[in-house]
Amino acid sequence: MSSQKQPPAVPVEERLFSLVLALLATEAGLTKSEILSTVQGYRQRYDAYGDNASLERQFERDKDDIRELGVPLETIETPGDPGNNQSMRYRIPRTAYELPADITFSPAETTLLNLAAMAWREGSLSRESQRALLKLRSTGVETTEPVLGYAPRIRTRDAAFDPLSDALTRRVTASFPYLKPGDASARLRTVSPLALVQHQGRWHLKAFDHGVGEPRTFLLSRITGPVKVSRQPIEVAPGGYAASALEELDEIWEANVADLEVLPGTDAEVRLARRRGAERVDGSRVLLHFTDVNLLADELAGFGPEVRVLGPEPLIAAVVSRLEAAVAAHQEAR
Amino acid sequence: MATPRDAQQFAYAQDKLTFLLALVPYLLDHGRVTVREAAEHFQVSEKQIRDAVSLIAVSGVPGETMQYQHGDLFDISWDDFDERDEIVITHMVALDDSPRFSAREAAALIAGLQYLQSLPENLDSGVYSSLMDKLARGASESPSQVAVARSDATGSLAEVRDALARGVQIEFDYLSSRGSREHRRVDPLRIDSDDENWYLRAWDHLREAVRTFRLDRMTDVRVTDEPVTGSHDDVALGDRLFQGADDDLVVTIELDPSALSLLGEFVSSVDARATDAAASVSGRVRTDIRVAHINALKRLVTATSSAVTIVDPPEARAAVVDWANEALSQYRSAGLPAAGRPADPASA
Repeated sequence: MSSQKQPPAVPVEERLFSLVLALLATEAGLTKSEILSTVQGYRQRYDAYGDNASLERQFERDKDDIRELGVPLETIETPGDPGNNQSMRYRIPRTAYELPADITFSPAETTLLNLAAMAWREGSLSRESQRALLKLRSTGVETTEPVLGYAPRIRTRDAAFDPLSDALTRRVTASFPYLKPGDASARLRTVSPLALVQHQGRWHLKAFDHGVGEPRTFLLSRITGPVKVSRQPIEVAPGGYAASALEELDEIWEANVADLEVLPGTDAEVRLARRRGAERVDGSRVLLHFTDVNLLADELAGFGPEVRVLGPEPLIAAVVSRLEAAVAAHQEAR
Repeated sequence: MATPRDAQQFAYAQDKLTFLLALVPYLLDHGRVTVREAAEHFQVSEKQIRDAVSLIAVSGVPGETMQYQHGDLFDISWDDFDERDEIVITHMVALDDSPRFSAREAAALIAGLQYLQSLPENLDSGVYSSLMDKLARGASESPSQVAVARSDATGSLAEVRDALARGVQIEFDYLSSRGSREHRRVDPLRIDSDDENWYLRAWDHLREAVRTFRLDRMTDVRVTDEPVTGSHDDVALGDRLFQGADDDLVVTIELDPSALSLLGEFVSSVDARATDAAASVSGRVRTDIRVAHINALKRLVTATSSAVTIVDPPEARAAVVDWANEALSQYRSAGLPAAGRPADPASA
């Protein structure tokens, strides 16, 4: 191999594919220099006598990329030489890589999974679910028939969703400016993310707030600026944080009841009275559960004169202040 | 009428790699498969399959000599591939089984399933929980903690779904966004959901066009015995729920950029425009939006009054003032509540 000639560029996916194959094939593992000097895509750029710093950085990024795909890339330290980066060996253990043989999906289940994947049509989770479908198809299962007639969609409109979901998976801390209702300005929060949950159409982050030393629930729509994802690793004890966050929100929802009077024949009557858990009392009164007084107040203000809040007091005050703000912002000539 | 999914292109090397890792075990399992069958199975183009197979055929492991000798590489039957467009792997290395899901991949599908649990299919919850369990066990790490509460659709969903499955027309009363109640007769085409909101896309016999109806605005739904008037296969249902019309109203608004997503499906289009100086000081942007009717806009603006303000036309501003004042008068006559800070149970 001539060292003078510019080596032909190896496509990224070919380099990554070759790396996975090489690491799957080895039992004992390969050292970094073995990988860089022999594996397709690296070897072309490897300089046996010189500095391979940029190639090493490339390898570090490739490792992250591969792990993100769920490939269990392991490092083995040499006994008697712990912590030595150069003697560390890398491999992908077959049993941790392969889908267990007893996990199979029926055509009906595959149909359902296709539909579940379809619900993510935006944001990073749409890529994740498309990749999951590729792996599913890898097992060869056919769908019975495409699910006709449904187009489900879960939105991830909040700009904070993708970076937070990233921080959650990488198990690192994140910080963001958060505007608590009633506060004059946003305050910077630094948290260890525990779960992202959607409840009543809103994304919430359950996280350990380092400022107060306790877990808190944040509404993503109240994050007012960019989320900074740190490289600070965190220890998170395994647990069903998402399920318990949803349970907590449900409990709050259950405990809060708005007492509303709706105008018959209006949008408010038709829509509010048919919500989950809504209860009609004597004709025009509707009892409605809610989780967040400010979110509900926004919504109720939009119904204008079609709905009047009878209670609780904070909800009345919140709706009235929104209506007054709408009048103030629109009444004088501009 | 499903959304026809075009052959997916992989923009990222990670996705291309996943495709390669998924394709090899499939090809090994099948022994012999045509390029076309594989393309259909993976919902990619035939070219993507050919490119991937060409790459696989020259890939392998460094091997004992560290030189990628012949036996260290995958091999395919080139005659079958070149002449018959068939794929037969004749020699494999290192890779023979399908990969596990990543923590996030499993989480995405699990959360999607949680969301779908509100569909009125005859599926007992056991189907869902067994699937979620398999996804969790099939992941290389425990799935990320992402969950979506099930979205309970309002009453009519089961009836509409039934009509859709049997291909019959339905009739219902509909409260339009203009505020009028109308009787409709439609051929149901598809049920769309958007977070906790559910919609019916249907061929409207009166309008002779595809319309989108909010399920929670439909009342007195009646499933008829009359078959739908056509397959409407020529109708492309895009992702957008609402399409603009020529008689749309153009309104200039000023808004906090973070509120742009709130406008979402309410408006048929947003024409971004250079911010003017006054607006940019407050961090707000000015933009033109097109709305079907002032009735929908005044509701939206009153609901988001801290973030969105109408600039023009004056009639639209007046509509908001009237709407909010009308609401306020009810409270004034009842005696305004004492000013108090709203409680905020859900937030940190």
